[in-house]
Amino acid sequence: MVQKFSYNWLTEYLGATAPTPEAVADLLTKHAFEVEGMEKIDGDTLIELKILPDRGSDCLCHRGIARELATLINQPLQSDPLEIEVLLPITDKIVVEIEDADDCPRFTASLITGITVADSPLWLKERLAAVGVRSINNIIDATNYVMFAIGQPLHAYDAAKFPQKDGAYNFVVRKAVAAETVNLLAEGGKEDERIVSLKGGELLIVEGAGNTAVGLAGVKGGRFAGVDSSTNSIIIEAAHFDAGLTRRTARGLGIIIDASKRFENEPARTLPPLAQQNIVDLIIKIAGGECVGFVDVYLTEKNPQPVLVSPMNVNALLGLNVPVSEMVSLLKRGGVTVAQDGQSLLCTGPLARTDLNIEEDFIEEIGRVYGYHHVVSVVPEKMVLTEFNQRHIFCEKVRLSLLIMGFTEVITTTFRNKDEIGLLSSMASDKCFLRSELATGLEEALTKNAPFTDLLGTAHTSLFEIGTVFTRVDGVVAEHFSLAIGVRLKTTGYSGKEDALLLQTVRQLEADLGIKGNWLMAAGLAELNLSELISKLPTSNQYVSVPKTEDITYSPFSIYPSSSRDIALWVGTDTEVSSVATLFKEAASDLLVRVTHLDTFAKDSKVSLAFRLVFQSNDKTLAADEVEAEMTAVYQACARASFEVR
Amino acid sequence: MPNKKPIGHLHPLSKMIAEINQIFSELGFSFAEGPEAETEAYNFDRLNIKKDHPARDMQDTFWLRPGDVTEPTVLRTQTSPVQVRFMETHTPPLRMICPGKVFRNEATDATHEAQFHQLEGLCIDTNVHLGHLKGTIEYFFSKFFSGEVEVRFRPSFFPFVEPGLEVDMMLKTGTSKLANRWIEVMGAGMVHPNVLRGAGIDPVVYQGFAFGVGIDRLAVMKYGIDDIRHMYSGDARFVSQF
Repeated sequence: MVQKFSYNWLTEYLGATAPTPEAVADLLTKHAFEVEGMEKIDGDTLIELKILPDRGSDCLCHRGIARELATLINQPLQSDPLEIEVLLPITDKIVVEIEDADDCPRFTASLITGITVADSPLWLKERLAAVGVRSINNIIDATNYVMFAIGQPLHAYDAAKFPQKDGAYNFVVRKAVAAETVNLLAEGGKEDERIVSLKGGELLIVEGAGNTAVGLAGVKGGRFAGVDSSTNSIIIEAAHFDAGLTRRTARGLGIIIDASKRFENEPARTLPPLAQQNIVDLIIKIAGGECVGFVDVYLTEKNPQPVLVSPMNVNALLGLNVPVSEMVSLLKRGGVTVAQDGQSLLCTGPLARTDLNIEEDFIEEIGRVYGYHHVVSVVPEKMVLTEFNQRHIFCEKVRLSLLIMGFTEVITTTFRNKDEIGLLSSMASDKCFLRSELATGLEEALTKNAPFTDLLGTAHTSLFEIGTVFTRVDGVVAEHFSLAIGVRLKTTGYSGKEDALLLQTVRQLEADLGIKGNWLMAAGLAELNLSELISKLPTSNQYVSVPKTEDITYSPFSIYPSSSRDIALWVGTDTEVSSVATLFKEAASDLLVRVTHLDTFAKDSKVSLAFRLVFQSNDKTLAADEVEAEMTAVYQACARASFEVR
Repeated sequence: MPNKKPIGHLHPLSKMIAEINQIFSELGFSFAEGPEAETEAYNFDRLNIKKDHPARDMQDTFWLRPGDVTEPTVLRTQTSPVQVRFMETHTPPLRMICPGKVFRNEATDATHEAQFHQLEGLCIDTNVHLGHLKGTIEYFFSKFFSGEVEVRFRPSFFPFVEPGLEVDMMLKTGTSKLANRWIEVMGAGMVHPNVLRGAGIDPVVYQGFAFGVGIDRLAVMKYGIDDIRHMYSGDARFVSQF
């Protein structure tokens, strides 16, 4: 997942030891994340990082990246928003009821009164602008700021609009029933209603007094009790929801926003109260008021567990010789607690990391912080090959035989718009089924390529394909390798004369391979079930050596049609075909793309040479007069060379 | 077979797969293959790609209709299931490659196709480490690109390996467009213990590396192909250049 980070924001945590933006990019590239882009804007540098899926838990926020950088430069963070004490008083003004602890292991809410909703201060607007978030007011901005600072999503309610029951604000976290609706915040702060009807099973935040759904837990907040300019007391919610459930709900409804992306990456369960302390401090600073108190319902604790890491395994897996003392120091730099346990290290990840769970996770941690550039190449000792791929060996023989007979190999699409085996969903209507045979695709290829014979200098169009096809056998999908061969003699389509040539090809192929195939033949096409055939053949224990070919450099081909002209000349008996071809090429422009020698015959003391000249432009279809102008130049050159045009 | 010169043209993918097999067979890697319609279990679960994990987002998947299959089945999104099947049927030490067609349910453009080809490789023994991975990849690329190739590793994440790596390569000889610059080319790593265990290999005794690279991408690099859709267009104007 790609996330933008503000360099200035990172330096708030890193302090004076912060490396330059360029050094930040270099360090992260080598040791942590790919840098997708860097952009200097208004005295700041925006760094776009591709956060790896396993680090979505702790690095989708500025504190996470700053902590990562601190590890890499081996310096402590100068200021750490997670290294704070939560000093908020407990209040009985908020009551929380959680239906299932697995869905919502932790829920916190705080009550702040006497605030003034206003525009955010400039520094806050700048911070949010840097990460691409629009400023709304100081309260909503504070929730976004804390999310981008420490990775914990939060939601603010206007307490005056939130009904009370028995003198308290009641939150219920429960699953939706079928057809229950929730009125969500519209995209981008728009005022429109967005009422979503639910399938049932989605996790909801419910206002307990009226049993009204006020938000989709972990996915999106509702319009209920929205903060506006007249708001003077607020409730801030910060919770932890099950990652899988959040993800299913978000994907199911197609609502994928900053908050849901964070929840589905399973941030640490220790974050919600820390987020509360951070936001209360911030709101009091920018909107005034005071915190009445907060509640923290923590039903299922989950903290990083100690893992035994064997230093021998570390070096054995990484192929390095890192001393144990160095391993300990590398781990400690990243906030890992390390205790010596005999020959092993007992390692516990820092609270914010939920991704360090097995020995290999810590080995990776050591490897990447130490630097993979230390890994030295070792080519494994050669091993004698004992298994040979019979299908590959056989197919290579088929290819060689067909290539010798002038056939060219194509690979066409596996998809069909209609066939036996269907797909559940597809991006494109022509990809809804899987092919049960190759012939249809090969026939299309023949039709497409038939006009190119002059251009390619071939007598006719001869193609083959080897590939997997899918059929239904005993009610279920089965697949096999198939071979299809096709011939087209005329550009206008199947002429009826192809089958004799095809039969000759099939017989020659069978003779070359020493097989007898059960071919399906129709209208210039022949197809054979290769898997079935190969299973009956004796096995081979040798691959054909691949000849060392000269370097091939592909050039994009023209998509425009070519035009052909034939020319026959009387030349002297000692005239070379190639010298005449050269004469044509020199006379014509580079629109002449191919000269094919058609025939030679001698009469008396003269020789007749016939050629086909093929003209094509890279950027248009040539008009007849443009081709004629080329031919005029060719005729003139022939005249100068004293070749008589027949 | 008659001793004559081929006049037709081999598809560049066939050409590359034959070369790839030749290079890896020198090191004792077997050429394995498996079904293109693969069960969800082999395509995802056995590869430590958990349900509802963001890693499943990395790939958009074609699913077969439930009526045609006995268990949930997809068009394989990677050739990794072949690795799992190979591990289940072989005893280490083992070395294999599995070049083959894979599928992604996504929009196509000059660098993305709904079908494309991957080359994956696997090497398992008691003492295989990242240095062997680096050595193997350098050996392969040096031969495949006919020049001296150096590779470097960067941290990455794939559920089936730990550590996970992004591999960049640099061709240090010659004057081609590829020469003297780092090019991001493949994903790799040390096989995740859950994957080994799931395939019946004891991760306490054995460890191994795995890597995966798009063969179409190798074609773009090797031949300078401008649009990978040509590979599957059945256009002889394209294939005739090879």
